[in-house]
Amino acid sequence: MSLLRIHASPSRTTTWILSWVLFVAGITTYFYVAQQRHRENPDDRVMPTAGQMIRAFKDAALKPAEDNAEGELSGTLFTHLRSSMLWKDTIATGRRFLISVALLFPAVLLGLHMALFPYIGAFFLRFIQFFDKIVALSLLPILFIAFGIDELSKIMLIVVGVTPTIILDAFNLSNGVPSEQITKAFTLGAGDFAVAYRIVFKQILPRVLNSIRLNLKAVMLFLFAGEMIASTDGLAYRIALLRRHLGMDTIIPYVLWVALLLFLVDMAIHLFNRKMHPWFQE
Amino acid sequence: MRNAIIQIDNVDVEYPTGYESTRRVLRGINLEIERGEFVSIVGQTGCGKSTLLRLILGEQQPTHGRVLVNGSERSQPDRFCGYVPQKYSLFYDKTVLENIMFGLDVVEFGAFPLFHLRRRKRMGEFRSKALDFLKRLGLDESDARKYPHELSGGMQQRVAIAQALVMQPPILLMDEAFSALDPATRKEMQRLIHDLWRQSTTTILFVTHNTREAVCLGTRVIALGGASPAMREIAVPHIDFDSDTSELDALVREVECGIAGGTTVGGEANLRTDRCELSANLVH
Repeated sequence: MSLLRIHASPSRTTTWILSWVLFVAGITTYFYVAQQRHRENPDDRVMPTAGQMIRAFKDAALKPAEDNAEGELSGTLFTHLRSSMLWKDTIATGRRFLISVALLFPAVLLGLHMALFPYIGAFFLRFIQFFDKIVALSLLPILFIAFGIDELSKIMLIVVGVTPTIILDAFNLSNGVPSEQITKAFTLGAGDFAVAYRIVFKQILPRVLNSIRLNLKAVMLFLFAGEMIASTDGLAYRIALLRRHLGMDTIIPYVLWVALLLFLVDMAIHLFNRKMHPWFQE
Repeated sequence: MRNAIIQIDNVDVEYPTGYESTRRVLRGINLEIERGEFVSIVGQTGCGKSTLLRLILGEQQPTHGRVLVNGSERSQPDRFCGYVPQKYSLFYDKTVLENIMFGLDVVEFGAFPLFHLRRRKRMGEFRSKALDFLKRLGLDESDARKYPHELSGGMQQRVAIAQALVMQPPILLMDEAFSALDPATRKEMQRLIHDLWRQSTTTILFVTHNTREAVCLGTRVIALGGASPAMREIAVPHIDFDSDTSELDALVREVECGIAGGTTVGGEANLRTDRCELSANLVH
């Protein structure tokens, strides 16, 4: 069949259309099934209709949160938004997420130093390789006992879950920098740290950023696990809470909201990478 | 040799190849190189040419013997020896100009240049020096902003040479620097490096597997044997690039015999041929 040829060359329009087919099919199927279920049972809560979801999302985004008395009724759209449940949850999860992503930076530096300085490598490598194999979620009870159920345990969960991967990735990427480049830098007068920071770090940075992009979902996964089990705010806390009331009309928009936020963060890192490293060709 | 800038005394290099087994790459190598010489090192793949360069750079230590560069042993590469490898010679995260300026910048401002207030002023001076070198090597100012991946192989090697020479190293080590170039660009680069050498006091060690290139460029050719880790030292007269090809062919054949000699004699360490005697043989 000619469509399955390796050397087939679909036009731009065909490519564009094909890339949207599954989205359209998924959405259409959902709303068709939802409509059928609502026709049989108007009180069905498992598959809310588009109208129900829009209404629920509007309430979450514009109505004040239950524990927030201020900003009720009066005020601009922005003040409504700021006192809403969605805003509060997004800020709570976003804060934890940013702290966790910021903690990945020292992990990159550790991987770099492990690759370049043999004593540091000898000291850390075996331990981190072992640490990487520990299933982070299995440590959750220990973390809650050790650090309590506050922010620290959730952030520690992400640190345990994601940093070993990032450290080992930075280690492998640093080892992958051709030895000729390092020799050349020394012969041009660079010292050990100049080689580390001005040659190797700069060359691995775009790849490390790509690696962080790939691990964003893992960061969010561990964060959600922590929030669902022990939290009083956050997007995952809300989803877990709404599950008890079968609040699918809010859960589905929340899930899509999280996906959109992650997509935007991923896109922002991608654009930053392209802007800052024009020499880097993926 | 009193004025030796590089002195290699009875050097052996062995690599472990498995449990309690080793492969000897160089054996009993003795070599002295004077300041300002252009020495070509030639031999088959795996005969230890690049190992010899790594010993001189200080990147690798010999199993036995010692390597003195400017009278002292080196534990890691430094500014005394410039280096132009065959591949990855440029930092691909930097533009052409940044590549050439890198050495000047890093020597003065180290690992964290942003903390130095004087840097902006000095960078202007570095820039003009780098541009001057760029022009000397036949590149345009418009190439200065390009990244290495935007340059041809020949242009990349020109920049790599400029990058090394801007630091004015007493020794320049070139490891198969022209191997990946097409014949026309290669000839152009050979002429360029020869001219640069004649205009300076830099000692050049040029590793190649191309015997003709070794003979054309070097004042001396070191032939390393393939199967046996031995060395043959052959002096060559000055050959003009446009000289009679039969004379050049004769020299090339002689050097190739030198390489073969190293292999057939096998096990005999340091097969040195008297320089004058050989020169006389080759010239007449």
